Amino acid sequence: MSARRSWIARLPGTGRVALAVVVLLWIVAACTPLFRERAREIRLAERLLPPSAAHPFGTDDLGRDLLARIVAATPISLTIGIVSAAVSLIVGFAVGATAGWFGGVPDLLLSRAIEVVLCFPLLFLLLAIAAFLPPSPWTIIAAIGLTTWPGDARYARAEILKMRELGYAHAARTMGATAPRILIRHLLPNALPPLIVSAAFGVGWSILAEASLSFLGVGLPGPATSWGGILAAAPTYILEAWWIALFPGIALFLTVSAYNLLAEGLRTALSEGGGRA
Amino acid sequence: MIRYVVRRLLLAVPTLLGITVVVFLLVHLAPGSPGLGGPGSLRRATGRAAEEMRRLYGLDRPLPERFGKWMSRVVRFDMGESFVDHRPVSERIREALPNTLLLNGTALLLALLIAIPLGVVAGGHPDGTFDRVSAGALFALYSMPTFWAALLLQTLLAVQLRWLPLYGLASDSPPAGFAGVLDRLSHLALPATCLTYGALAFVARLVRSGVAEARASDYVLAARARGASRRQALWRHAFRNALVPLLTLVGLMLPALLSGSVIVERIFVWPGLGQLYLDSILSRDYPVILALSLLSAAVTLLATLASDIAAAVADPRVRDGTVS
Repeated sequence: MSARRSWIARLPGTGRVALAVVVLLWIVAACTPLFRERAREIRLAERLLPPSAAHPFGTDDLGRDLLARIVAATPISLTIGIVSAAVSLIVGFAVGATAGWFGGVPDLLLSRAIEVVLCFPLLFLLLAIAAFLPPSPWTIIAAIGLTTWPGDARYARAEILKMRELGYAHAARTMGATAPRILIRHLLPNALPPLIVSAAFGVGWSILAEASLSFLGVGLPGPATSWGGILAAAPTYILEAWWIALFPGIALFLTVSAYNLLAEGLRTALSEGGGRA
Repeated sequence: MIRYVVRRLLLAVPTLLGITVVVFLLVHLAPGSPGLGGPGSLRRATGRAAEEMRRLYGLDRPLPERFGKWMSRVVRFDMGESFVDHRPVSERIREALPNTLLLNGTALLLALLIAIPLGVVAGGHPDGTFDRVSAGALFALYSMPTFWAALLLQTLLAVQLRWLPLYGLASDSPPAGFAGVLDRLSHLALPATCLTYGALAFVARLVRSGVAEARASDYVLAARARGASRRQALWRHAFRNALVPLLTLVGLMLPALLSGSVIVERIFVWPGLGQLYLDSILSRDYPVILALSLLSAAVTLLATLASDIAAAVADPRVRDGTVS
C-alpha cells in the first residue's frame, strides 16, 4: 500500500458520489434560515397548488410552500439522524465491549439484554417511548438511540473478543491499566473501522426511524416538522395532491441512500487498508 | 445435539423474563403513564372516578407487587380488558390476528420466493452484469422508506391508473365466489408489495454473499470435478450451505415484518395487529400495548429458538460452536 492514502482516496466511486451528496445536504441545511420564514407562512388562498414557477414543489394543505418546508426540515432530519446514531454507538460500544472483555457471567447477562431488545419489533418500542415521553427532539433521539444499540453492541463485542488476546492488550494489562482504560485507549481505536461503518448505516437508519415516527404522528411537535412530518399529510390528500407525497419522499430517499452508500463505501475503504496505516 | 437444544432452551428463559420486565417497565415507568405523575396521568387525576381506576388497576400498590400480579395473570393468558371499549384484550387481538397473518405471511413467502433465486443467480457470477444490476436495485429498495413507496404506489396504481383499490380489506359489498377471492387479492396486492420489498432486499443480499462465498470453496470445485453441471453445483452444493445463515435469520425477520406492518396497515387501512398497536399507543390503551408487545416479543423468541435449532440440525458445526 502506498504510504497513507487518505480514506477519501480509498472510497470507491459510488462512495465518493455519496459523500458529495452528504456534504451538499449539510450545505443546504446551513442555508435553512433563509427559508424558515417562507416555510411557516400560511396562505389559505394558495392551498394545495400543484408545482409551478412560483412554487416549484407545489403547496401543502395550509398553502405553505413545499420546497421551503422541505429545505427547512433538512437540518432537523440530519441532526436527529447523526445524534441518534452516536447515542446508539456509545451505548452499543459500552455494552458490547464490556461483554466481550469480561466474558463469563457479564457476557452471558449482557448478551441476554441484547437478545431481549432484538426480540421486539423496533417500531413497537420506538412508538411506545416516543409517545410516552414529552414530545421533543431529545425524546426522539433517546427513543432511536435506546432501541438500535444492540446492532452496534454485537459488532463491538465481536471485535473486542478478537482483540483481547492480542499482544498489546496483554501488555497494557501487565502494566496495570484498568479495564476502561484498555478498552477506550487501546482497543477502541482499533475496533473503530467496523464501528464507523455500522454508525454510518445507523445514520441512514435513524433518519428513516425518525421519519416513520413523525409520519405516524408521534414525532416532533409542530411547526418544527421533519420530512416524515410533512409526509404525514400526504395520505389525506392522496386523491388531489400527489406532490405532497412525492417531493419530501425524494429528499428522504436521497439522504438515506447517500448515507447507506457512504457506509458501503467506507466498508470497502477501511477494510482494504486493514486498520490504521 | 440434545445438549445444544437444552442449552439453547435454558438461555431463552432469562431472555423471556427480560422481555416481560421490559414490557412492564415500558408502560409503568413512562411519564404520563398510569404509574407515575405527569400530564394525563391517573396519579394526578382526582375525584371518585380516578380513585376507582387506581383501585381497579392496582395503581396504588408498589411496583414489584404490581409486576407479580400482572405476571400471575399473564401466565394464565389473561390479558385483561381494553381501556377503550372494555372488551377482553384477547378478543381484540384475535380479531386482528388473521388479517396480519395474511398480510405478513404473503409478504414473507413472496420475499423468500423472489429473493432466493435472485441471490443464487447473482452469487453464481459475483461482479457479473446481473449481480451488479440486482445489487443496485436492492440497494435502492433497502433505502426506500416503506410509507413513501406505499404513497407512490397508491398515487400511481390506485388514483391515476385505477387498477387497484386504494385501501381496505375488501370492497364494501364484496362479490360472492371466485370474484370475491379476486377482490380480496386485489386489496392485498399493494400492502403486501410494500411489506415484501424490505425483507426481499435483506434476504437476497444474504443468499448472494453465502452463495458467492461457497462457490469458491473446495467442495463446490470437487462437485464440478465429479461432473456436476454448473447449475447442480450452484443449487445443490453452494446454495444448501448458504441456507444455514438464512435459517438462523428467519426468526429475526419477524419483528422487522411487524414493524413494517404498523406503517403499511395504517396507510392501507388494514385492520390488523399493527393498526391495533398504533391505535392503542395513541389512545394510551395500556392493557393492549402490554399484551401486543409481550406477544410479539415472545413469538419472536420462539421463532429464533426454532430457527437456531433448525440450523443446528442442518449444520453440525453450529452444534459444536465452530460456526455461530
